Amino acid sequence: MELSYLKSKRILLVDDEQELLDMVVSILTEDGFTNIHTASNVKEAMSQIKEYSPEMVILDVMLPDGSGFSLMEQVRKEQDYPVLFLTARGEEEDKWKGFSLGADDYMVKPFLPKELLFRVMAILRRSYKRENPLVKLHSSTIDFSRAEVIKADEHIPLTAKEHELLSALYRNAGRIVTIDTLCEAAWGDNPYGYENSLMAHIRRIREKIEENPSKPVSLVTIKGLGYKLIVEREW
Amino acid sequence: MKSVPKLIRRYVGLLLLSSLMLLLLNAVVFAIIASKQLSNGSPWVTAAETAKALQSTEQGIVLSKESTTQLQEAHAWAILIDNTTLQVVWKSDHLPNCVPLSYTASSISNVTRGYIAGYPTFTGESENGLLVLGYPKESYWKHMWPSWDYHLIANLPKILLAIVFANILLLLIIYVLANSKLLTSIKPIINGIQSLSTSNPVHILEKGLLSELAVSINQTSEILQKQKSQLRRKETARANWIAGVSHDIRTPLSMVMGYAGQLESDTHLTEEQQKKAMVILRQSQKMQNLINDLNLASKLEYNMQPIQPSKMNAVAVVRQVVVDFMNTDIDHTHPIEWETDTSPNTCLIQADQDLLRRAIMNLIQNSINHNENGCTIYVTVQSLDDSCMITVADNGVGATDEQIHQLNTTPHYMVCDDTTTEQRHGLGLLIVKQILAVHNGQTIISHSQYGGFCVKLILPLCKR
Repeated sequence: MELSYLKSKRILLVDDEQELLDMVVSILTEDGFTNIHTASNVKEAMSQIKEYSPEMVILDVMLPDGSGFSLMEQVRKEQDYPVLFLTARGEEEDKWKGFSLGADDYMVKPFLPKELLFRVMAILRRSYKRENPLVKLHSSTIDFSRAEVIKADEHIPLTAKEHELLSALYRNAGRIVTIDTLCEAAWGDNPYGYENSLMAHIRRIREKIEENPSKPVSLVTIKGLGYKLIVEREW
Repeated sequence: MKSVPKLIRRYVGLLLLSSLMLLLLNAVVFAIIASKQLSNGSPWVTAAETAKALQSTEQGIVLSKESTTQLQEAHAWAILIDNTTLQVVWKSDHLPNCVPLSYTASSISNVTRGYIAGYPTFTGESENGLLVLGYPKESYWKHMWPSWDYHLIANLPKILLAIVFANILLLLIIYVLANSKLLTSIKPIINGIQSLSTSNPVHILEKGLLSELAVSINQTSEILQKQKSQLRRKETARANWIAGVSHDIRTPLSMVMGYAGQLESDTHLTEEQQKKAMVILRQSQKMQNLINDLNLASKLEYNMQPIQPSKMNAVAVVRQVVVDFMNTDIDHTHPIEWETDTSPNTCLIQADQDLLRRAIMNLIQNSINHNENGCTIYVTVQSLDDSCMITVADNGVGATDEQIHQLNTTPHYMVCDDTTTEQRHGLGLLIVKQILAVHNGQTIISHSQYGGFCVKLILPLCKR
C-alpha cells in the first residue's frame, strides 16, 4: 500500500521521560516518519502546538504539570487533532476515560515497536484519507468515491451494502475481519442472524471483483471466522 | 422474628397455669388445716357432752369423772345456770372469781354469743338448765355477730367464681403491660443482633430496661465495622501495592522492549545479535504479561475489578479473539482451527466483554507459551441446554493426569494461605478461573482429544 504521504505528517510526542521520547522518536524515524516534535510537559506541548500545529498528538496521561486528559481537551478546542494515548496507566477506568473523551486510541506501556507503528499508521490513515482512493485488487479496481468496481474496463456499480462491506474490509486490508464486525458494519448495532445475508452479499461482491468468483483470490474466506481483503496497490 | 410471639404465648400460659395451681394449693392447705381444727373437737360439742355428763344425784349435781378430767386437761371451767332462777346451781373447780353467779336473759344471750370477762364461753343444754363452758382467755376467737345478707350467701358460688376470674384478668393485664414494656425494649435488640450477623452497621437506642445490652451490641457492631474496614483497607493496600509496582515497571520495560524490538529487525546486526535481541524481546513480553496478569488477578481476588456485564454474543467475542491472534501470528507456528461444525452463530450470554476476551486470550496464549515448537489450537463454541461452552484445546505437549488434577483442585499459590513448596505455575489459568467465577461459570481442565491440553469454559446462557 502506498501510504508514504502519511509519514510526512507532523507528529507531536508528549512524555515526561526523555529516554522514552528518544526511543519513540527513533522507532518512528527508522520507519520513515520525518516530522516529529517532542515536549516533556503541558507548557512545552502548548507552545509546540502553537508553533508547528501538529497533525497528530501522542500523549502520556501523567505529566509533571497536568494530566494528558485535560491537555487533550485543551488541544481539541482549537483543532480536532487525532490523539493516541501512550501511558503506563493500564486501568480499565483510565482507558474508558480516554476513549470517552474522544481519544483515537489508547496504548498501555510496555509496547512493541511494531504495534506502535501499526496503531499510528491506522490513526493517520483514518484521519487523513485520500479523497478518492482507488484500490487495486488482483483482477479489478475499487473506486470508493464513485462506489464502483472497474473490471476489464467495465464499470460495475456497488450497492450501498456492498460498499459498506468493502469499506470495512478495506479499512483492515490484509487482516481477517470477523463475520460479526462485517454484519455490524452493514446492519448496525444488533447484528444477530444476518450471517446468511452476509454470505449472499459476499457472493455478489465476488462476482463483481473476482475473475473467477468460485475461486476467490482478493476476497478470501476464513472458514467460520470471517473474510480478508487482499489489496495489491492503492493510490 | 417469629419465635418471639411463641415465647410470649408460652410464658403467658405458664403464668396462668401457675396462678391456678397456686390457688388450688392454697385451697388444699386451707382444707387440711380446717379439717385438723374440726378433728380437734369443737368446744360446742364438748359443751354439749359436758351438759349430758351432768347428773342430778342426792348429793346434788355431779359431773362425771371423765368429763372432769377432760375439762382439767383443757384448763376449762364450767357452770350450770338454772332455767327458772337464772342462778348458778353448779360450778366446776378453778372457777375464776370474776365470773358472775347470777344472770339475766340478756347476759345469757351475751354468754352464748361471746365471752364472760374475756373467757370464751360455749353453752350446752342440760336437763335442769344451761351449761356454760369457759376456756382460758385467748384460746378461742368468737365470731360474735354472724349475720349475712341472704342473697350474698345464696349467690356465693357465682360471686366467688367472678372474683377468681376478675383476679385472673387483672393478673393477665398486669402481665401484658409489664411484658409489653419488656418487649418494646427487646425488639430493637433482637433486630440489632440479627443485623449484626449480616455485618451491617448497627445502632440501637441505649434506653429502656435493656439499655446495657443495647450498649454492648452497639460496641460489638463498632468492633465488627472497624475490623471490616481494616480488612478492606489491608486488601486495598495490597492491591494498590501490586498496581503501583506494575505501573512503575511499565515505563522501564517499554524502553527494553522498544530498543530490543528495533535491534531485532536491524539489518546492520549479525544474525546472532538479532537472535539475542529477539530473546530479550520475548522475555520482556513475558514480563509484560506477568505484570498485567498480576494486577488483574489481585484485583479480581479482592473484588476491586469493576464488572460491567452486558448481553452479548459469545460466538462473536470468541471469533474476534481468534481473529486477533491470527492477524498477529506472523510465523504461523501456532495455527488456530475454528471448529465450525458444532458452533452456532449466536450464543447469548451476560458477561463483561473485556474480561471474557481476556479469559479466552489467556487460554490461547497458554497453549502458545507451553508449546514453543508449535501446535495447532482448536477453538469451539457450543450451545448446551442452558449454558454456553467455549473450548480451547491443542495438540501440543499437554500435561500429566496428576498435573491436571492439581490444576482442577488445588488453589493457586497467590490465593492460597499456606506456604507451598510445590511448583508454581503462571497466573493465566488463575485469572481464567477468577473471571469465570465472577460470571457464575465453570472452568474444566482436561486432556484434549487431539493429544494436548484442553480447557472448557461453561457460562450460563441468557434467559429468553
